[in-house]
Amino acid sequence: MEANENPCPHTGVLNIIDPEFTAHPQPVYARVLEHHRVAKSIAMHSPILSRYEDVVWALRHPEIFSSEMDMQVLLGTQRPMIPQQIDPPLQTRFRKILDLRFSRPRMQELEPAMRQHAQQLIDGFIDRGACEFDADFAVPLPCRAFLTLMGLPQEELDLFVELKNGIIRPPVPPMDMIAATEYRMKTGERIYAYFEKMIEERRSAPCDDMVTYLTQVELDGRPLTHHEILDICYLFLLGGLDTVTATLGCSIAYLASNPDQRRRLAQNPELIPNAVEELLRWETPVSLVPRVVKQTVKVGDVELREGALVNLLIGAANIDPAEFADPHHVDFDRERNRHVAFGAGPHRCLGSHLARMELRAALEEWHRRIPEYEIAPGAVPHVSPGIREQLHLPLVWKAGAGSAR
Amino acid sequence: MKSAHVRVDMAKCVGHGRCYELAPEIFGEDERGHCRVLLETIPQHLEQDALLAAANCPEDAIKIEKR
Repeated sequence: MEANENPCPHTGVLNIIDPEFTAHPQPVYARVLEHHRVAKSIAMHSPILSRYEDVVWALRHPEIFSSEMDMQVLLGTQRPMIPQQIDPPLQTRFRKILDLRFSRPRMQELEPAMRQHAQQLIDGFIDRGACEFDADFAVPLPCRAFLTLMGLPQEELDLFVELKNGIIRPPVPPMDMIAATEYRMKTGERIYAYFEKMIEERRSAPCDDMVTYLTQVELDGRPLTHHEILDICYLFLLGGLDTVTATLGCSIAYLASNPDQRRRLAQNPELIPNAVEELLRWETPVSLVPRVVKQTVKVGDVELREGALVNLLIGAANIDPAEFADPHHVDFDRERNRHVAFGAGPHRCLGSHLARMELRAALEEWHRRIPEYEIAPGAVPHVSPGIREQLHLPLVWKAGAGSAR
Repeated sequence: MKSAHVRVDMAKCVGHGRCYELAPEIFGEDERGHCRVLLETIPQHLEQDALLAAANCPEDAIKIEKR
């Protein structure tokens, strides 16, 4: 069965799109960590770093591992997204003005609205005793949070889901890369057009929201350019929706499959903040991030050449036994947990405080109402590569067993 | 008896916010969400919290010293 071994023990080639890997990556991570300090991606054989030490080092050294890369084909962008696809020192100047809007106290202000959104979604299916977790909860909840954060009406929900899906999963035949790129470019144009209109509206009628802030804030004593504001909004749309969707799906899929852990959490909701961290570590929904080598550098015996695309396998770093005690034990009481599911170094996820608030609120509200649930018998999980979204996660529970609000 | 002191390398802090979540009596946040030390000398009953914060900083920016 050597053909099915992942990674290939001889070449160190990792099949990152293998459905078994995307659904259950941890045993594969363990083999990569043990045998291949620099593995190779099945896509173009680009090098993969996986050790905690190597991944964190790369994340903290943007002068060697740059975030500036042309992602037009994959993201439909006409310019780099800000601040994700630019490097320090300019990136740091943008973070100084954006961090202010994503601080923990600001995100806590959104929490009551988030809990209400979660309750309304649960109301919609609780009596059925079943839901498709992805479509019914994990997709709309972060989208509603995004609309609240941006000061947009909730009626825009379907449009925003369509726009982000048009970039991340364009509805074209699989493997038709040309059609996919065309679809992404067209969707990208729609995203720019939408925010262009919104920026104009906020300039003429300012209010207390994110886009108004971007039109008024100063960077080194000058206002942001029209393009800069657009490139920030584009990132908010792509970064804010899918990542939390994926994390909710992976967390609930784990809890549905591990009833003892789930019951403990449902009965002891004070464990939820720590459980969120542990599930982020174990599942690492954003499993892999790209960088471009800016100066040739050696990792172990392998030379990473200037200009090469490198993948940082954050999911593997988060179960590296050199950093984590008993890494394959999902332990909601773990005391030392320096996971890097939100990255590390200057590009630490801008939305991490938002994500944590959303995840805690969602898991608390869900388990208060639906403490007992399982994956529908016979269902096979379908998990996307890269950002590990549980695209098909049908859940069932005893109809009428859920609690009222 | 030696008391514990907290030292944060601010050049390393990028605002993960684990310290002020886990040890809110010792660490606070500035307006960007980066760490701010509230208590440099740690009373004994908060020593465990301080160690927990240090053990959960992904940037390894927090040191607890006995002196």
